[in-house]
Amino acid sequence: MRISNILFSRIGKWSKQYANLPDRYIKRSMEQVYWRNPKGINYRANAVIQRKKFYFSVHRPWTAEFRNDNAPGVYRPKVFVEPVKEWNFFCGDRVEVLVGKDKGKQGIVKHIFEERNWVIVDGLNCKLKQMGADKKREFEGIWMQEEQPLLITNEVALVDPSDLAPTTVEWRLTEAGERVRVSIRTGRIIPMPATASQTIDYKSKSTYKEQPKDTEGSVVTEVTFKPKLCTFEMDLMDKMGIKEDRIPPKSYWY
Amino acid sequence: MSSRWYPIYQKGGPQLRVFLPNFWMKLVKPKHEQPPNIVQFACSMEMTKYDIKNYLEKIYNVSVVEVRTRIALGKTRRDPGLGYIVKDDDTKYAYVTLPKEEKFEFPTLFPKVSTDLEDYEKTIKQSKDGFKAYVDRNKNRPGMPGWFTI
Amino acid sequence: MGPLSKLVNLYRLLSNVNNQTKHLPFTTIARNVSTTKPNYDLMEFFDDPKNWGSNEVKSGRSWQKDEMRLKSNEDLHKLWYILLKERNMLLTMEEEAKNETMLFPSPERLDKVEESMENLEAVVRERNKAYYELETGETGERPGRVETGPFGLKFYYKMREYKVPKHMNKKWQETHQFYKHDKDVEAFLLKYGEKKFLSKRRQYKRDFNHVIGLLKRFPNMDMEALKQQYPDVDIEKAKNNHKCRGHFVPK
Repeated sequence: MRISNILFSRIGKWSKQYANLPDRYIKRSMEQVYWRNPKGINYRANAVIQRKKFYFSVHRPWTAEFRNDNAPGVYRPKVFVEPVKEWNFFCGDRVEVLVGKDKGKQGIVKHIFEERNWVIVDGLNCKLKQMGADKKREFEGIWMQEEQPLLITNEVALVDPSDLAPTTVEWRLTEAGERVRVSIRTGRIIPMPATASQTIDYKSKSTYKEQPKDTEGSVVTEVTFKPKLCTFEMDLMDKMGIKEDRIPPKSYWY
Repeated sequence: MSSRWYPIYQKGGPQLRVFLPNFWMKLVKPKHEQPPNIVQFACSMEMTKYDIKNYLEKIYNVSVVEVRTRIALGKTRRDPGLGYIVKDDDTKYAYVTLPKEEKFEFPTLFPKVSTDLEDYEKTIKQSKDGFKAYVDRNKNRPGMPGWFTI
Repeated sequence: MGPLSKLVNLYRLLSNVNNQTKHLPFTTIARNVSTTKPNYDLMEFFDDPKNWGSNEVKSGRSWQKDEMRLKSNEDLHKLWYILLKERNMLLTMEEEAKNETMLFPSPERLDKVEESMENLEAVVRERNKAYYELETGETGERPGRVETGPFGLKFYYKMREYKVPKHMNKKWQETHQFYKHDKDVEAFLLKYGEKKFLSKRRQYKRDFNHVIGLLKRFPNMDMEALKQQYPDVDIEKAKNNHKCRGHFVPK
């Protein structure tokens, strides 16, 4: 597996869900390539020298803050992230905070950071942050409340909708063949929140507002392909009325 | 076969045709002043003068009188962090002459932002008012989550 | 129907692709004094004037292979030129934004267009392959074989088409030299193999140490998930390592 693929696989599906950006763009904006071998006979063909260690935090990989965190030559201490078998927390889930000053309070998951096993719960586990302090002008700045990320492994738990108490979950199949999260304690299904599949462009796929350059759905699904015994080029030449009877002289492949 | 593979031409063989050209061209603002009917493009390195002429005439429906090209040497510079030498890629530029009666002027794509002091003060006041409203709204309920609102 | 309703590209302009619609009324205002004919078609290299200087331009997703498979060759051909023009437009806007040190809004549009173009080429290739397989029993792809290069390393040699056979092509014979037994190359290969082996061993060691670090920090970790993530690492061995133990006497 290529290094870039390994790097890229670390960005979880649900971390990039909301931004609705193509994977290609995320990879392009994140990678730092220092050297790429030119084409031709090389002792190491296609060798690429690029940054391999990235520091992930609450900044998304395509943002300027992430680039600032991972500026060339800047390396941070290694972070150990506990391997998780399956991701159980989605945007809009009701969770209970198990640690800190908001211990026991319930809130809604706002952001997901799969690279660090983090979720941010709306309005809970906050820290005060001083903004714009200026000593010269004797201005103490503005104090803002900022939510701090919580580890999904031991700092938050999903809430069972039947008794509103925290629970552990597992994935099971329903009779219809659908995968659902089931509370282990009560056996009750925890439904997937509607906001889980929400993106910056639409709340649900059916409510997407078409942009001026978008192709209409009906045009896309329209079938215009008719099977024909010819290649793409032959078909086009036929349609354009280009006649070509000359037979290519013999050539050799080696 | 990949549509990027171009077969060889042999005398008496069929005419070679490209159905899916992959050339790119971008219209760039000329560095030096040009006559009104000359347009500058940066284009794929593989493009010849004939390719450029055909590309503009067939795809963009622009009549072309003459095409002149040059290849600009990419800059050689030192990497700011690690100090090794980097050479940027070369670029091919094409100067396309349109018919005499046609004119092209490069549009101003980024209108100048007004730097009036009044505007600046206005935005500052707006943000101040917004912050004050936010503080007033949350004065009596510290530590409440943001969604806890009617 | 949901995902299909949102798509990048001016597919609805398909019917107008040949007569080159001129839909840029904004220049007429600026140029109505001039008697010379303004050139509208070069304005296709620029985005819609509404988007000039904006911070964001919304767009749908790229064309998928499955959607392209429904389309006739003619439609795909038209779509290719729409995508090509869109890409040229985006490249122009990007370059100008770079020159002016301004923000290029929504750079992901470029990736969406390029992804669509890749998908289109793949679908065309698929169709041609099917034709050749039916007609000739072969894929019609460019043939190739695994060769050993002058450095003794294996690579996939893609064949080329020539007018003359191999034995008559002196130039090809001069330029295409494959592996011949050589003492120096043998020595190089030995060292190269050693280097590869060492780098592999280092990678294993790194993974092993990482697993130890994980076990030390998260003793109650899901072992199945760990095994899934590091399939090569012997976890039982890592557990018995002294670095994994905390500062206490084991019972």
